[in-house]
Amino acid sequence: MAVHSESVMSSRRSYLIRRVFHGFMALFIIATLLFFLFRLGLPDPTAALITEGLNPEERERIRASFGLDRPIWEQYFIYLVNIVQGDFGYSFHYRAPVADIIWERLGNTMILMLPAIVLAYAVGAPLGAWLSWRRGSRADTSGIFVGLMFRSAPMFWTGMIAILIFGIGLGWLPTSGMRTLPYEATGFFDKIFTLDFLHHLILPALVVALYYLGSPLLIMRNTMLEVYGEDFIEMARAKGLPERRILYAHAARNALLPVVTQLAVTIGLAAGGQVVVEVVFSWPGLGREILNSVRTSDFPLAQASFLVMAAFVISLNLLVDILYTMLDPRVSFK
Amino acid sequence: MNNAITEALAKPYSGKRTSLRVLAVTLGLGVCASQSQAQEPMPSITLTTTTESYDPIRYEAAFIIAERWEELGLDVTVAPTEFSTALERLYDQQDFDATILGWTGRTDRLDPQFFLSTLDSRQSNPGGNNPGGYDNPEFNALFDQQSQAFDPDERQQLVMEMQELYKPDAPLIVLFYRDEVVAYNHDTFEGFEPMAGEGLYSEWGPMEAEPVGERGTLRIGGPQEPDNLNPLASTSVWGWKWMRLYYDRLVRLSADVEPLPWAAESVEQVGDTTIAVTLREGMTFHDGEPVTAEDVAFTWNYYLDQDYSYFNSYLAALENAEVVDERTVHFNLKEPSASFASISLSQIPILPEHIWSEIDDASSLSPVDVPTVGSGPFQFERFDRGEFMAISKFDDHFYADDIAVDGVEFIIYADMEGVYTGLQTGEIDVTAWRMEPGQISLAESQDHLTVVNVPDFGYYHLTFNLRRPPFDDRAVRRALTMATDRERMVNVLLDGRGEVGNSVIAPVNNYWHEAFIEQFEFDMDAARAELEDAGYSWDEQGRLVR
Repeated sequence: MAVHSESVMSSRRSYLIRRVFHGFMALFIIATLLFFLFRLGLPDPTAALITEGLNPEERERIRASFGLDRPIWEQYFIYLVNIVQGDFGYSFHYRAPVADIIWERLGNTMILMLPAIVLAYAVGAPLGAWLSWRRGSRADTSGIFVGLMFRSAPMFWTGMIAILIFGIGLGWLPTSGMRTLPYEATGFFDKIFTLDFLHHLILPALVVALYYLGSPLLIMRNTMLEVYGEDFIEMARAKGLPERRILYAHAARNALLPVVTQLAVTIGLAAGGQVVVEVVFSWPGLGREILNSVRTSDFPLAQASFLVMAAFVISLNLLVDILYTMLDPRVSFK
Repeated sequence: MNNAITEALAKPYSGKRTSLRVLAVTLGLGVCASQSQAQEPMPSITLTTTTESYDPIRYEAAFIIAERWEELGLDVTVAPTEFSTALERLYDQQDFDATILGWTGRTDRLDPQFFLSTLDSRQSNPGGNNPGGYDNPEFNALFDQQSQAFDPDERQQLVMEMQELYKPDAPLIVLFYRDEVVAYNHDTFEGFEPMAGEGLYSEWGPMEAEPVGERGTLRIGGPQEPDNLNPLASTSVWGWKWMRLYYDRLVRLSADVEPLPWAAESVEQVGDTTIAVTLREGMTFHDGEPVTAEDVAFTWNYYLDQDYSYFNSYLAALENAEVVDERTVHFNLKEPSASFASISLSQIPILPEHIWSEIDDASSLSPVDVPTVGSGPFQFERFDRGEFMAISKFDDHFYADDIAVDGVEFIIYADMEGVYTGLQTGEIDVTAWRMEPGQISLAESQDHLTVVNVPDFGYYHLTFNLRRPPFDDRAVRRALTMATDRERMVNVLLDGRGEVGNSVIAPVNNYWHEAFIEQFEFDMDAARAELEDAGYSWDEQGRLVR
């Protein structure tokens, strides 16, 4: 028995090491792709300065100050060495350390996305379970309809309708930004632990939540329907357990697996923010920043933002695989 | 939608077109019979413009142009291109046939120097401001003369001559000047004077605004934010539009763009290459230190020293600045310069020597370390990236008694949609940037908003690549200019809010604008005649050949 559990432990450890190694390899490849992709695909970062009337010599000096006058391999090498040391470099556009910008914006994005996604899953998953129980009923069809509708409606549209009704029409909720002016906030937590912040959060978070609601709802409902055919449900019924208990304690637990995967992937991608929502509600998040950095050919900022996103997705995927083994003992390490 | 528009535009003319084609065919045959050598069709043309999402107006304009040029028998392809890529191809690579872009009307460009330089052949190297490659030695000579002419009347004469000179050569088509349409909430603030090229968010705007509601702090909303607030690193208009409110300059341009002494009490020409500036008495920086001639001379020499590219054109003529006494500074120029006293003195801020003298490399300062102490009418309060900026009135400023607001807050939105919503809900009082066409009519229907049309002197242009056929031929350029329906662009695309282009110096800039130059009215027959006179004809398919 002891021998057995020891081998499980070591196989888990080697599995983890392998997975982490793969994760780093993937990040390295992504970092390389990003570096060359932006340099090949985006215009020169000083191109926009032409409209400011800068002549070629002046622009060349600016390029040199960005290090863009060096051979591309040298730039690549410096970039890799810096990343390994956790240094994302200096933003061309803002003339500020990229890391500072990204952490701040990432914080703003997550404080919007996390509550919204949690809300979507906390409502969507139980609702999906309930719908599966009432399958074929009017509640089921209308539930699916609403979920699909918000999932397929463009978010800028939902956002604009929400602004129109609750912001402009009724005047209940603010329509842009994170706070009401004037304010004095000294730190991140100072900024978010206020009623005013919550007030600003409601509209964008609801729009995001409605968008995400569809996936846990449908996934949960469909997986539940599969689970109903399993023997252990039959067994539970034979034991005479109440239907509600079978539904939530037995079936739902077994149907959660795909929902959890979806949740992790969603959170991973959420790091990049929902550009559309951030634009519609003028939310100062990472998505808007990524868009700007690409627009201004701010290579260091664009590279780092995408890399951070990739790191998020990779690590959350890893986390899910580990969670799987806890939720479902049938899944093993290979 | 675009197709629908171009189709609708084309309809009334489709009948005319076929009959003209018949005419063209007969003409073509006639020429064929008389000269038996083979005729070369014209090379096909790529017309580069911005993408529809970047600017629907320039995008549509390209189709209006292409339509007519095709009628002349040219093969035209419209290529919507991402903005920076279009810039790069036009200016850096000079790899284009004809490109539609624009120059924004910045106050300092009201001086004719910059726009005229875009036709100077010494600017036609890659990256220069004359990508089309117009080369006229006479024009260059006049350019040098005007830039050194101190006498305004003499300079005015030279500038007019230059416009008369280049225009018949049609090196570019000035398409239109687009009005800047902005709005403000007259229930909260009044008293704005619109300024050409600046709208209401001019450097005077916050000084003129008068609160009529409860709030004394003026709130401006804009779709973009400064890149940074480092007076030696910012390379965006948004940075300087904000910084000029808390830094003083020696001269400020009035709403009619007249240079007014500001921090300077007087500006005098004391020799061909020396300008003497006497400072106003009793000025202080926001930290309480006095503003002296030392600070002024230091600032200018510091700018020369730090080699800040963005200001190089203002500093190009300057040799150095020297302190004469506590209130007098002499600016020693390398050569006489007409624009130094009016333009350069109105652009460079006055920095406190006691703070900046300790900074060796100003451009690499981290944003948190950038000093924000100026001597302007407002003082810096905060800048929260992506959210808002604030300044408050500086009570010790010499102009403080004339300022009615307590301060200014600038709210940063993601796009004009957000800005407009802010204006509608009363979150902001005035827009910092032009509204989208759809928002203009909405704003006009709102009781609390006043919509303001401000003519612009920046222009949208179509630049020909004079190095490539068929644009190397003056007659073709002239004909294509006549075949460009600019009237329609202003009426349809701008909804009448703008003016048909005719010179790189706009009509609103009336002191320098030459009003009587050849206008190139839209006239397809004249365009055809121009081509025929130059020996062009049309083949059986109606294609232009030579």
